[in-house]
Amino acid sequence: MSRKNSKSVTATLTTATCALLGTTATTPVNAQEEDTWEFDTALLYYAEDNDRVQDISFKMLAYRNFVDDRVLSMSLGVDSLTGATPIGAITFDGPQTFTSPSGGQVRTVPANEIPLDGSFLDTRVALAANWQQPLGRLSAFNAGVSASKEYDYLHLGANFKLSRDFNNRNTTASLGLAFSSDELDPVGGAPMPLTPMLDVDDLSNRMGDQSKDIIDIVLGVSQIINRNLVVQLNYSYSSSDGYLNDPYKIVSLVDPVTGDPVPRIPTPGVEGPSHEYIFEGRPGERTKHSVYGQAKYYMNGKVLDASYRFMTDDWGIDSHTVDLRYRWPFGGQSYLEPHFRYYTQAHADFYRTSLDSSQALPLHASADYRLGEFDAFTVGLKYGRKLDSGNEWSARVELYSADGSMPADLLIGNQGGREIYPDTDAIIAQFSYSFGW
Amino acid sequence: MKISKISRVFALAAALVLVASGCSSMGVEPWERDILAKDEMQLLSDPLEASIDDHIYFSKEASSGGRGFGGGGCGCN
Repeated sequence: MSRKNSKSVTATLTTATCALLGTTATTPVNAQEEDTWEFDTALLYYAEDNDRVQDISFKMLAYRNFVDDRVLSMSLGVDSLTGATPIGAITFDGPQTFTSPSGGQVRTVPANEIPLDGSFLDTRVALAANWQQPLGRLSAFNAGVSASKEYDYLHLGANFKLSRDFNNRNTTASLGLAFSSDELDPVGGAPMPLTPMLDVDDLSNRMGDQSKDIIDIVLGVSQIINRNLVVQLNYSYSSSDGYLNDPYKIVSLVDPVTGDPVPRIPTPGVEGPSHEYIFEGRPGERTKHSVYGQAKYYMNGKVLDASYRFMTDDWGIDSHTVDLRYRWPFGGQSYLEPHFRYYTQAHADFYRTSLDSSQALPLHASADYRLGEFDAFTVGLKYGRKLDSGNEWSARVELYSADGSMPADLLIGNQGGREIYPDTDAIIAQFSYSFGW
Repeated sequence: MKISKISRVFALAAALVLVASGCSSMGVEPWERDILAKDEMQLLSDPLEASIDDHIYFSKEASSGGRGFGGGGCGCN
């Protein structure tokens, strides 16, 4: 990334010289004499405890910097995912049998264990390209496309961004638009929301491919306050429309007194679920609003990066995120960067740990733990070193811990005191190398 | 979209404009940008790490975006 640095310094010096001489640069300053390439690469290991999700991935971001300030950037990401994830069914002191997502077999979860899906193996490949172009002296235009593919999911997206500098380039305002069109092709077909999990080979409540469309709008202002402080404020609007369910998530139907799952007897001669479960059903639309603020403060070589985000949506979820990083250079070419992140969210209006079998089904219901009420902390440390060549490597290790809380009004019968919310503990380890020529 | 949501959006847009107009008295001269030009002082100083973090938290939490676009792109949520 050293080239970017030298480019900015050169641009600053040229502008300063022009200002001192009483002239103005009439064309964008050409800060470099030839086109350059820069590459950021990273290897990531992400692992949750209790044999849950593991991800090993390789990410690369390549920049082609042209002499006239145009920039082409391209990114590639390959994720290899394994492990298991909670399916939403409630924990119970007896074994529970579930039909697999494909509908072709059953699997049994032992008593008192949080039901997870069968271990999965998935590969995700993501590609993106972005073109950045100055528009005159003070404005810039960005346009990009993105695509990603998993075996049951396809994403296609496009984004645009316009930015303009004001106040002697101390203020930058930007407007961004992004469109995303995603297709789901779940194993066995997407289940109809709020219909029962059926016996093996009964796919009568499965549908064909499903889709969702997402529109994002981001309005942003960044401001240089003084020589050591720069701040940013963004407002984001996001609207999703279509099949917003997780096709593999279910909700237990429980007895109103005991709070235990209601037993079910499969059709004679056929394997099937041991208890009554229904596939989750979320609303077909979601609108989110976010406000994001960030400050970067330089303190005699050290840099504090602090940000806060508030999000609210029409599913009833409010969240707060605080992120702090402190870059502490030492020895001329190295730095340490502690990282702390705190996240808290309220549960969605339709989040349920389980459903009372004596009541009519609600319009929407999901037991997905990610729609529940929880707090999460991330604590991490990064070490980075710049080499004599100008290239740089860094390594970081972080711990992520999410703990759910269960409002009493969501518990049914004697569910109090049971382990209902699947907490998450994960380790994030990353090695990065940046180079250019 | 409800009226209250629309008015909230307009209020936020107005706040952004106010912030931008109020900022005209702040800032630095062109020759005072030596520190601000450093890589580590860019608002997005490590785009690759930021995208990795965004992807992790998008998969585990009900919120996304804010810093940039938040929608779509993964079957993980």
